[in-house]
Amino acid sequence: MLDGQIVQLPASILFAALAVLFLCWFFACRALRRLLSTAQPVAEERDWSVPTIDADFTGDSLFHRWDVRFKLVALLGFAILVVATRSPWSALLACGFSLAAIATAKLPFLRSLRRLMAISGFVSMFLLLMPLTLATRPDDTLLMFSDIDWLRFNLRGLGLALSIAGKACAVTLLMEPLLATSSLPRTVEGLVKLGVPEKVAQMILLSHRYIFVFLEETKRMATGMQVRGFQWRSNVTTLQVAGNFLGMLFVRSFERTHRVYAAMQARGYQGRFPAPFYFKVTTGDWLHAAFWLVTGVALLCFDRFGGF
Amino acid sequence: MHDLKRQPPIDFDGPTQIEICDLHYSYPGGLQALNGINLRVAEGDRIALVGQNGSGKSTLINHLNGLLPVQQGELRYKGKPLAGEHLLQARLEIGVLFQDPDDQLFCSALYDDVCFGPLNQGMELGSLEPLVRQSLASVGLEELIYKPSHHLSYGQKKRAALACLLAMKPQVLILDEPTANLDSLQENMLVELLRHYRGTLICITHDLLFAFELCQRAIVLDKGQVHHDYRMDDLVADPPSMREHGLDFSFRLCGVKSSAAVALETKQDLPTPQVEQSTISNPLELVALDHYRYRYSDGTLALRDVDFSLQAGESVAIVGENGAGKTTMLNCLLGIFSGEGGHRFAGAELTKKQRRLLWRKVGMVFQDPADQLFCASCAEEVGFGPKQLGLPKDEVKRRVDDALKRVKLDGYQQRVPLHLSGGERKRLAIAAVLSMQPELLILDEPSAGLDPQGEELLLEILRELPQGKLLVSHDPFLVAELTSRTLVMHRGKVLADYSTAEFLADQQQNALSLLAPGYKRACERQVLELQHRHEHAHLHRHYHEHPHRHGDIAHSHPHEHEHDHDHVYTHSHIDGDAEHSHSDSLRYHEHSHPGHENEEHDHLH
Repeated sequence: MLDGQIVQLPASILFAALAVLFLCWFFACRALRRLLSTAQPVAEERDWSVPTIDADFTGDSLFHRWDVRFKLVALLGFAILVVATRSPWSALLACGFSLAAIATAKLPFLRSLRRLMAISGFVSMFLLLMPLTLATRPDDTLLMFSDIDWLRFNLRGLGLALSIAGKACAVTLLMEPLLATSSLPRTVEGLVKLGVPEKVAQMILLSHRYIFVFLEETKRMATGMQVRGFQWRSNVTTLQVAGNFLGMLFVRSFERTHRVYAAMQARGYQGRFPAPFYFKVTTGDWLHAAFWLVTGVALLCFDRFGGF
Repeated sequence: MHDLKRQPPIDFDGPTQIEICDLHYSYPGGLQALNGINLRVAEGDRIALVGQNGSGKSTLINHLNGLLPVQQGELRYKGKPLAGEHLLQARLEIGVLFQDPDDQLFCSALYDDVCFGPLNQGMELGSLEPLVRQSLASVGLEELIYKPSHHLSYGQKKRAALACLLAMKPQVLILDEPTANLDSLQENMLVELLRHYRGTLICITHDLLFAFELCQRAIVLDKGQVHHDYRMDDLVADPPSMREHGLDFSFRLCGVKSSAAVALETKQDLPTPQVEQSTISNPLELVALDHYRYRYSDGTLALRDVDFSLQAGESVAIVGENGAGKTTMLNCLLGIFSGEGGHRFAGAELTKKQRRLLWRKVGMVFQDPADQLFCASCAEEVGFGPKQLGLPKDEVKRRVDDALKRVKLDGYQQRVPLHLSGGERKRLAIAAVLSMQPELLILDEPSAGLDPQGEELLLEILRELPQGKLLVSHDPFLVAELTSRTLVMHRGKVLADYSTAEFLADQQQNALSLLAPGYKRACERQVLELQHRHEHAHLHRHYHEHPHRHGDIAHSHPHEHEHDHDHVYTHSHIDGDAEHSHSDSLRYHEHSHPGHENEEHDHLH
């Protein structure tokens, strides 16, 4: 260990490390994108696919059979316990549990990788900035670079950043078994049973349904402007056009809201969405929930008392 | 002769299901949408509710299941006013298929959408799944039971919305423009489904052939009033009356008849529209795709090895079923989507920088004009493109005025686009593109959602435009009228690229199963028979307004008694003097009846 030391290094190492970090991130993302695009089968008819939360809820696994209320409490509880850990090793262990959960749920790893790719920019910024900006303590080991005296790379900051990155990855990976193994209405109904107000639940469901319609409308309107020669610039005209554009989007959304509400009323809506399923608790649900909560507590104990 | 507020002259087979008396409705802005509607609907009636855009059809059906409150007058369903518990119950018995299926499919997956109504009806969870499966199977979507609605194509969404209603086993089914934007195949499926529906059917549509196929009774609304209420046969047999209400679709029948006949007999090309001037250096080729492939982000191959070249001034149609790749091809041609393969503009490979030049020469009118209109006034809307080109104010104004004049919207400069009718908005969208003076006009389903009068006007405008046209349409009539060459697409491939005459001949011979006109051809023949014209005498029924006096009181009402007598009248006969027979059923004729109002009569008032 290098506790409480200052290590002098040539500046080129810093630049090389930054370049390697950036290239690793860039090529990993590119490879992943390529993998995702080639892994998709060439379908005869368009799937109209857009990423959905509950893409694999029709599967069959321990997670699919698990009562959604227990799943929510247990996995969110486990996620909170993971977030409470401090060491990168605990975070790494948590990642292992999350990966095991994905495998048990028989979910495609590619979707989870896509989730990781989405947070990779945020995590990379942590890895880069925290070692350079963390307040220095007397026992910290600092790497200093010749000719750049003001720049100090704090190894404790790197450990902290790795820990945060690991925890972020673990929780992100856990979202797949949590959300993709039950249909969204069932998950939301589970939340209602756990005390989330029904209005909030309906808003979640309707937002999830209409965000895609709204995005399509936005795209078509933007294309309509583009083919009539419009270019986004930083001037007053662009601001005026953007105002009109957003205003029209608002008007269209407002009108759609009225039409959707009318369609709901026309089919007997009286303030609540009827749930097309019922919940049935089994011993397995309890045991499964207990396993994850006990594992979370064990992980926290390992983190706090494991000598890290 | 034009009578108002007439009661239906057809026999009621069953008890009255819906009864409307003197219904008035005004929107908050003061617009009088309904103005004294009187109507009786019997159980099992099949009614086409027709009229121009803005005649009050949608307002009326929004009353039928209580979405709009009764402001004045009476509305009864099964003998009781629509209010309180009875209203809630009525909503579970009256199904409404809205125009945009995205409004109706508001749940996360099809299963939940189809469940929504039956659960509100109080159905047990145990019997739900078989019902959902059966309803989706009836519209051919059982395999998509757990799919989210936004994963479906437009035609699938439309069928899914219908499945949601069928699962509720409605006693009354109200359909708002059910065939808009559907291809022939989907339309035929829909007709087949509705043929077997046994409840009361009320259908709002501009597609009178569809209405003719399914409905026996026609109610014509105009300015919020019931102008006619008679048999469907009587509506389609009376072109002058239809024309008066903007519903005359006879121009389609003549067009189809002549173009199809020409196609079958001679298989010769229709005349190619001419372009006045061409500023393209290479006059031969405007845009072209060479071995072009395009893949959606989900990996689906949307265009497969497409070869297509369009010359300046040429008018071409792209036809194919929903999801064949027509709109994707338009987006690729415009450089909005970028795929693999050659893409040339004016003879040179298209680069990103050249796209702006392409957009000056090729203008696109979207299927939904709302995608194109976002400015506060029509003048701003039409001037948007020229302004982006950096033209001086005078030139922009000149172009705006000229473009609005071309689409017959002169004087609309300061009107708000959002307040225009559907047909006007469509024409405004065309003007917004014309103001950029393109050499090619791309039109994606230009006639969708327009009433026959709006359609005829649009057709007239498009015929007069000198630009070449690239038309995407499910409508063979429009294809025949506007283009000389047709591309048939299927699953991203170009199946055929030949003259429009050959395409029409193929369609007539059912060589293109996916684009077969189906029931419509038989309907066209029947309507043509009903519209024949010559003089003859036969027994008929007579029904008319009856002004008369009772002592000192003079009043007028629909003459409710019917009588038969020999009568000489004139009606159209497309095939000239050829011999023909008339249906034995007694039809209603509108004609003056001199002296009849002064005859003795005795009836209740």
